[in-house]
Amino acid sequence: MSAESEIQPDWLAEFEAAARRPLAQRFRYAFVRTYKPVLDDARFRSFESMEEYRRWCQDNLPDWLGYGRV
Amino acid sequence: MGAFEYRQAEEIRDTFARHGVRYLFIGMSGAIILGFPDTTQDADLFPERTPANGRALVAGLRELGFSLTDTEAAEIERGKDFVQLKNGPFDLDLVFAPDGIERFEDAWQRRVIVEGFPVCHPDDIIASKVAANRIKDRESLGRLRSFRDYWVGKRKA
Repeated sequence: MSAESEIQPDWLAEFEAAARRPLAQRFRYAFVRTYKPVLDDARFRSFESMEEYRRWCQDNLPDWLGYGRV
Repeated sequence: MGAFEYRQAEEIRDTFARHGVRYLFIGMSGAIILGFPDTTQDADLFPERTPANGRALVAGLRELGFSLTDTEAAEIERGKDFVQLKNGPFDLDLVFAPDGIERFEDAWQRRVIVEGFPVCHPDDIIASKVAANRIKDRESLGRLRSFRDYWVGKRKA
């Protein structure tokens, strides 16, 4: 059985449709802009380690943004 | 500020090429360039962490219009693990040490070029999302894995 035949049919249809679109058009569909509280409120942030960054997200961002760990 | 546009991705590609920056698109933005149909808000770049690349990266970012203080530039040059930029024409995350990827060189060897954009291989994008273990990635991972199978199948065909 091929890998494609194991892909959920609706997902496969989406992949095929995306493959037919030029990259510039995929960009227009894919990149959206919404305000993210806290996250968007600083012009620059940096973290020494990914662990520090993940902890900051966990402690400071609203849960609904989804940056917390599972 | 509006959504990240194709034209801005081209500016990154062309400016960084002039400055000799070694980097890869990673995360959902990388997956989208590979053809994954989904949505995201900003672009994530995985730059190589070397002093020379850090200097080239800062020069490229300034040319793109990012307003960096000397301290901020020094932190990028040094390659702090994660840098979030919202001080330029578009938002950009610099991920010098993505979860789940051991070395830049390994990802570079596996990279995929799409219209001149250097992109992490889907396996690396998936590995970093699995290792990050975030709630927001949980729902998209199954679909992303299926896309990886589709993408690999198409490359073989």
